[in-house]
Amino acid sequence: MSSQFAPNGAKHRSVRYLSMKMILGCGILLIILISAITGMTATAQQTSPEPEKSAVSKVLDPALEKINGVLGTVLMYNVSGDTFQKSVYDEDGEPVVDPDTGELKKETIAVPLIVVTLAVGAVFFSFWYRWITIRGFKHSIDIIRGHYDDEKDEGEISHFRALTSALSATVGLGNIAGVAIAIQQGGPGAVFWMMTMAVFGMASKFSSCTLSQLYRQYNPDGTISGGPMYYLDLGFRAKGSFWAPIGKFLAVMYAFMVMGGSVGGGNMFQANQAFKAFSDTFNYPEKYDWAFGLVLTFLVGVVIIGGIRRIGAATSRIVPSMCGLYIVASLVVIGVNYEKIPESLFLIFEMAFTQNALFGGMIGVIVTGVTRAAFSNEAGLGSAAIAHAAAKTDEPVREGLVAMIEPFIDTIIVCLMTSLVVIVSGVWDKKELADGVIMTSAAFDTVLPWFRYILTICIFLFAYSTMISWCYYGERGWIYLLDHFGHGAGLRSVVVFRLVFVFFVFWGTVNELTTVLTFSDMMILSMAFPNIIGSILLAPTVLKIVQDYWRRFKSGEMIPDR
Amino acid sequence: MNITWLPKKSVVVPLDFSDFSFAALEQALEFVDSPEGIHVVHVLPRLSPMEPGVIWGTIDDDSRRDHAIQALKDRLTGQEYRGITIEIRFGDAARQVARYAEEIHADLIVVPSHGRTGASHVLIGSTAERIVRNSHCPVLVLRNAYR
Repeated sequence: MSSQFAPNGAKHRSVRYLSMKMILGCGILLIILISAITGMTATAQQTSPEPEKSAVSKVLDPALEKINGVLGTVLMYNVSGDTFQKSVYDEDGEPVVDPDTGELKKETIAVPLIVVTLAVGAVFFSFWYRWITIRGFKHSIDIIRGHYDDEKDEGEISHFRALTSALSATVGLGNIAGVAIAIQQGGPGAVFWMMTMAVFGMASKFSSCTLSQLYRQYNPDGTISGGPMYYLDLGFRAKGSFWAPIGKFLAVMYAFMVMGGSVGGGNMFQANQAFKAFSDTFNYPEKYDWAFGLVLTFLVGVVIIGGIRRIGAATSRIVPSMCGLYIVASLVVIGVNYEKIPESLFLIFEMAFTQNALFGGMIGVIVTGVTRAAFSNEAGLGSAAIAHAAAKTDEPVREGLVAMIEPFIDTIIVCLMTSLVVIVSGVWDKKELADGVIMTSAAFDTVLPWFRYILTICIFLFAYSTMISWCYYGERGWIYLLDHFGHGAGLRSVVVFRLVFVFFVFWGTVNELTTVLTFSDMMILSMAFPNIIGSILLAPTVLKIVQDYWRRFKSGEMIPDR
Repeated sequence: MNITWLPKKSVVVPLDFSDFSFAALEQALEFVDSPEGIHVVHVLPRLSPMEPGVIWGTIDDDSRRDHAIQALKDRLTGQEYRGITIEIRFGDAARQVARYAEEIHADLIVVPSHGRTGASHVLIGSTAERIVRNSHCPVLVLRNAYR
């Protein structure tokens, strides 16, 4: 080590930071090189019967399938037994007769445990907090507009900024591709159940984000650490020594799952669908998926590992505008087909309750709707609570009220736009449009051919901002876990997680949708278990502060700053 | 520079807000004539570029430094701490501590060791160990006596 030191530390810091960046840069380069080599091999092997599949996905797909199998057993455990059955239909829509018995062939409609947990949790929170989601709607808008901001409160950012940061993670491909997938799997009726679930989901979101403000960790440098792992840990500790180990268990479980969810739904699904949209729009050959993967890996890497803050900041801030652009584009498509709006809305409503066996009957449609709603607005998963913990406020309930708007914007506005676009344009029952996002872009195509370029740009930016935000969620899980090994250990070692995350960007791009989607679903939905169970157990404490807040709000002692 | 048990002119104590590190400070106070010889250093790791406060520009190194200094001052209120120098550095803890000690020509660094073993040792490493390797002056590593 050199013994020459300048008297002030500033110079050292920048030098030190640079060398750190160099090491990390080499890390990214290594990942890119390995990926490139495997990608090249794939291109070289194009004579094989399946030329469109690269060698990477051939190796990785079976691995993912194994993980899916294990997770699926627990998450997808069918709680209904064989109660719900549906007839099996062949390709022509004729019922299939079982050759042995001569009766109509029946299949069980599975009601996965995780879907029940999400739905029961959301309904419970709605009633438990006495429908504050409806009562407090106007108040929520006032808070977001900054009428109750106080610079002196502890925290990092204002209510509005916290909402924007959380939205940049939730508004992603779940709103564009996810809706198309819901309609493919559950028919237009699934949209109705997505909306219904979103209304209840607002209460789940309210609960998570209130808790994340109530039990957050103030770091010595003025930053805040929060989210389900912190409120499960600290909240249960506050309940007493009997509860502390339970809370710790749930918190650790959550921390693992948020890391999984971050590489699944927050990363691979986004990368996969962004590539699908890109290759479809620009006729980009699928066999070069690895090249697109490398570019995307690089773009994510420069922010999360290279530490180029400006790009991260810009993408996070741009999301509301992209949202607006997407809504305007959707309104144009819907406007052109305005005469079909009533029948489309009727179709959504009608198909929600009819026993349309093609989509698994009413129960099947509900299951699809609930799953896709959770995937799009993350209500009940507790992920947004990580971002909301950073908000400047001394009233936990206030942040909950801000956060509950997310499912409203995300599902009730943006997802409704997508579903109307897909339905009014008439592409929804086209079987050949198999890949979620391609259906949405075909729907945009019916009006103006260049609309798909706007859509592709939107998709790319949504996917990109979602990946970056979700990397943050995932690394908070890592930091929470590693901090048990000493103060600051998590943040010091977090680069390990980031390198893994960057690798998964690539993995997601080169994988087929089926395995990727199952893996994403499993990882992201499993986060609901510890979060909802923990939030229900902590609900009595939260109810007290909610009622106290509401009483003070109604009494007029909170003076808004208009 | 020789290590003797004579009073030291300046002793560096890295504080990470753990109980171990405050115990190390107590120990270090015994090596100096007055608390003015004690230089407490707290090293803040780099923040995530996706941290909400970083994205919105409401948190930066200056605000973190001010907060950390205040947090340390709040912990070190007693008479016995009067005159202690507080320094905040950013980056890798071990290197920054060693560098700071060299800059102020410290006679000794007193560090607690968490005594990590196995996987966590590989993953996080021992900051104490790395301070020893990077330091220009003697380092006193306190073992788990305060656990």
